[in-house]
Amino acid sequence: MDWLLFFWVVLKSVLFSMGGFGPLPSLHTDFIMHGWASEIQFTEALAVGQMTPGPNGLWVVSLCYLVAGLPGAVLACFALLLPPLLVLIVQRCYARIANRPTTQGLLDGVVLVIVSFSIIVLANIFRSNGLDIGMLAIAMISAVLAITRYLSVNLILLIAALVGLIVG
Amino acid sequence: MSIDANGKQLNDDTPSAKSPFNVDVSTESFSMIRLFLTWLKIGFTSFGGGAVTQYLIQENFIHKHKWITAEEYARILAMCQITPGMVIVAITIIIGKRLGGWVGIIVSLTGLILPSAGITIGMTAIYASISELPQVKSALRAVFAAIFGISLATNWRNVKPILVSNHKRGPLALVVALGIMVGSAVIYVRFNPPVIVLYLLGGLCGALAYWRGAKKTKED
Repeated sequence: MDWLLFFWVVLKSVLFSMGGFGPLPSLHTDFIMHGWASEIQFTEALAVGQMTPGPNGLWVVSLCYLVAGLPGAVLACFALLLPPLLVLIVQRCYARIANRPTTQGLLDGVVLVIVSFSIIVLANIFRSNGLDIGMLAIAMISAVLAITRYLSVNLILLIAALVGLIVG
Repeated sequence: MSIDANGKQLNDDTPSAKSPFNVDVSTESFSMIRLFLTWLKIGFTSFGGGAVTQYLIQENFIHKHKWITAEEYARILAMCQITPGMVIVAITIIIGKRLGGWVGIIVSLTGLILPSAGITIGMTAIYASISELPQVKSALRAVFAAIFGISLATNWRNVKPILVSNHKRGPLALVVALGIMVGSAVIYVRFNPPVIVLYLLGGLCGALAYWRGAKKTKED
């Protein structure tokens, strides 16, 4: 493992993205290209990352642990913590750029792209796990439960895991 | 960065701001240890991702300790949403700086990340040791299906306010918003360009649309 390259790949994916799942597409491309990770490891890391406490973005730590052990996980932590320091620069010019329609438009535009885009990447991984009626039903029911706030996300994940265990 | 007595000035650049520690924390005595323990608690208890973590941050910093105000938090959140990387980490950095300068940043980040990353690594290690079991495999598939469903709900929640506000601006604004979503999806699937290019393109379209909209409203 070339640790410098590894660190740069993870850092780059965080630096050029927003939110916890933002690094997913970039990491997916690079990790598969370098032969560091398989498709199933992304599923595993996203699932474990969701089921552990803390921000969603820590799925990256889980992925790096799976593909590169403890050193990989530690490097991933630093790669996750460094780019958000740019917020200190954002803060300096925020007073000047806030409340302008252009700023709001820029942000809304970026959010719209991130949304359509994360759905595509997650849908691709979802499909690669093997599609059947049961999986589609779980996805749909989870979506409805989450949107109506009928159950907390943790409970939904727990029930899904139990259903998977029992039904197989 | 300096903070005035009412704690509302968050990001003025006045040179008089010498000490980041002259913070109005009259309502609850502040110490680095307390700051660390507060983040540690958030890191340990925030099962369920970003929304829950944010809820806990508000509960602790605004309502319980009263170290920051709700208006401040709203501004912090807005800044963090335009910063690269995880929003929660950026929030942690700003609050840490606001309350304790650079030391505050390090203390806060360590408190947030140590328990969460530690538990994540531990859970991943446990998972890796049992991942070959067929039951675990089917549970994993089901969990990911649920994650996919939940992500649809989360994304809908993120995009709904934007679509609603654009709908109020008029049919053209709504078409632009939907066009950015569909357009970026098509470009991504067909050409697979670097992520950042699509973000910039979408942001540019949005900025242009809102700028034109504001100009038109002024003219009217």
